[in-house]
Amino acid sequence: MEIFMEYWPFLVPYMVVELVLAITALVHVLRHPHYRFGNKVIWIFVVLLLQIIGPVVYFVFGRGEE
Amino acid sequence: MGILEIDKLYKKFGSHEVIRGLDMDIPEHSIFGFVGQNGAGKTTTMKMVLGLLKPDSGTIKVCGERVTYGETRTNHYLGYLPDVPEFYDYMTPMEYLRLCGEITGLPKEKIRKKSEELLSLVGLENHKRKITGFSRGMKQRLGIAQALLNEPRLLICDEPTSALDPIGRKEILDILSAIKGKTTVIFSTHILSDVERICDHVAILNRGQLTLSGSLAEIKMQYRHNGYIIEFAGEKEASEFAGIEALKRPAVEVSRDRAVVTVMISDRNVGGQFLISLLSEKRMVPMKFEIMEPTLESLFTEAVK
Amino acid sequence: MKNYFTFLKKELLESVRTYKMFILLTVFLLLGIMNPLIAKLTPEIVEMAMPAGMDITVAAPTAMDSWLQFYKNVGQIGVFVIVLVLSGMLSAELSKGTLINLLTKGLSRSAVIFAKYTYMILMWTAGYALSYLVTWGYTVFLFPKDNASNVLLSAFFLWVFGVFLLAVLMLGAVLSGNSYGGLLITGGVFVICMLLNMFPAVHKFNPLTLGSDNVALIQNTVKPGAFFPAVGVAGVIVVLAIAGSVMLFRKKQL
Repeated sequence: MEIFMEYWPFLVPYMVVELVLAITALVHVLRHPHYRFGNKVIWIFVVLLLQIIGPVVYFVFGRGEE
Repeated sequence: MGILEIDKLYKKFGSHEVIRGLDMDIPEHSIFGFVGQNGAGKTTTMKMVLGLLKPDSGTIKVCGERVTYGETRTNHYLGYLPDVPEFYDYMTPMEYLRLCGEITGLPKEKIRKKSEELLSLVGLENHKRKITGFSRGMKQRLGIAQALLNEPRLLICDEPTSALDPIGRKEILDILSAIKGKTTVIFSTHILSDVERICDHVAILNRGQLTLSGSLAEIKMQYRHNGYIIEFAGEKEASEFAGIEALKRPAVEVSRDRAVVTVMISDRNVGGQFLISLLSEKRMVPMKFEIMEPTLESLFTEAVK
Repeated sequence: MKNYFTFLKKELLESVRTYKMFILLTVFLLLGIMNPLIAKLTPEIVEMAMPAGMDITVAAPTAMDSWLQFYKNVGQIGVFVIVLVLSGMLSAELSKGTLINLLTKGLSRSAVIFAKYTYMILMWTAGYALSYLVTWGYTVFLFPKDNASNVLLSAFFLWVFGVFLLAVLMLGAVLSGNSYGGLLITGGVFVICMLLNMFPAVHKFNPLTLGSDNVALIQNTVKPGAFFPAVGVAGVIVVLAIAGSVMLFRKKQL
C-alpha cells in the first residue's frame, strides 16, 4: 500500500491503459465469435490473463474474418 | 474494329502451355460468352487482357490501344469482376466505391452520384453496414457495381455466376442484361444455359485456342442444316421410310425411335429438299417435319472433341 | 501522386478499423509508463527479494536508469511488436486478392509500396513519440535534478533504426509474398547485424549501433559523431530496400 501511495501517478495510468486494452479485446472476442484458431473460452483467458501480450496476440493472430 | 482484339496470344506456366495462339475479336455492344471447361485458360486470358499476367508472345489491344504488362493505362477502358471478388471488409459498400472512384480519378461529386446509382442498380442501396457478413451473391453484385464505376467500355466478368445459387445467378444475369446497351460485356463461364440466356456472341476456348466463335444466331444457323426429325403416324410407316434405299449413302445417317426418324446429313449440298421429295415420291405424309435446332451443348461437345 | 494519398488514407482507415492503430499506440503508451516506473522501483524490488538480514546498498536510481529502460523496452519489445503487427499488411492483400481489384483500376504498383511504407513509418513515429514523451515527462518529474545530455538526439537514432528495420520488412514482404517470410527476413537481418557487431571495425557502420549505444550517448561517453556512419549506412539501405521493393513488386505476377 505504501508503494501504491508513492507510485500512484504511474500505476493508475498504467492500469487504466492496460484495462482498456484488455476490455477492448474482450468485447471484440465476445462480439465476433470467429477466430483464425482457438475458441471463445481460450481467447477470453488469453486476453484477460496475459497482460499486454494477450490482446496483442489476439488482434494480430486470433481475430478472424469478422 | 473490335473493342478487344487478341492476336496470336501464347502463354505457358512452366512447361504447361495454357494459351496456344489465341485469336479473338470482340465487337462493340455485344454481350460475349467466353465458354470453356475448367482449366481451359479463360482466367489466364482475362488476366493478360488486364495486364496482370505477362503474355509470352502475341498482342492484345483494348479499344485500339495495346496492353502492356504491369501498366494500367488501358485499364481505364475496362471494368473487371474477378471470379471471387474480395473487398476490404471493414468498409461499407459506399466507402469502397469511393475508394475505387478516387483511384480511377473521378471527381468527388460524380463518384457520389454514380455510386448511388450503381448500388441501386445492383440492389445494395439499403446496405449501409460494412461488407463483412455479405453473402457471396451480394459480394458479386458489389463487384459489378465497382467494375462499372468508371463507365468502362468493356466489362470483363470472370465466372460471375459459378459460385452462386440459382437466385443469385438470376440476379447477376439480369443485371448483366440490363447494362447490355451501354457496355460491352465479356463473361467467362462453363454454364451453357447462362450463355444461351443473355449472350449474343459466343466463343469456345479449348486447349488454348478458340474452336468456335461468332454470333450465337450465326453459329446456330451454320450448324442447322444437318439434322431433321420426321415423325410418322405409326411405327410401320416410320420403319418403311427409314429403310428407303436412297437414304443408304455415306453422308446420311438415319436412326429411328418408334415412330420418329432422325436423319443427319453431313453433305452440305443435300438438304431438307431431298427428304421432302423422297416423302412425296413414296406418297408419305409425316405428322411432323422438323429442322433440328442445334443446342449450345451439342455445339460445345462438338467443339471440344 | 493522388493515388498515393488515396491509398495512404485507406491504410490509415484500415489501421483504425482493424484495431492495429489502437494496439500499437496502447503498447507504446504502456512501455512509456513502464520505463521510469521500473527504473524507480528496481531498488525496492531488489531489497524485497533479498533475504532478511542481508544488507546491500543499491545505488539510488537516476534519470539514466529511466532512459536505460526506454532503450531496452522500446528498442526491443516496441520494435518487435511493430514489426509483428505490420508484417501481414502486404501479404494479406495479396492472398485475399483485395489489391488486384484496385490495380486493375489504375492504381500504380509503386504507389502501393510507397503508401504502405509511409504508413509503417507513421505508425512507428506516432508510437515512438508517444512512448518518448511519456518517459520523458515522468523522468523529469521523478528525477528533476539529474542532467542528461543529447536525450532527443539519442532518441532520434533509435527512431532511424526502426525506419531501417521497417524498410527491410517491406522488402521481405515483397520478396516472400507472405507474412512469415517477411518476419523471417527481418529477423534474419537483425541477427546478421548482431553477428556483425562482433567485429569492432564494423561496429561504427552497423545500423544496430543506432539502437544499442544510445545510453552511452546520454551519459556523454560517446560523441554524436560516432553514430553518423551508421545513420548513413541505414539511410542507404532504406533507399535500396524501398527501390528494390518497388522494382520487384512491379514485376510480380499477381
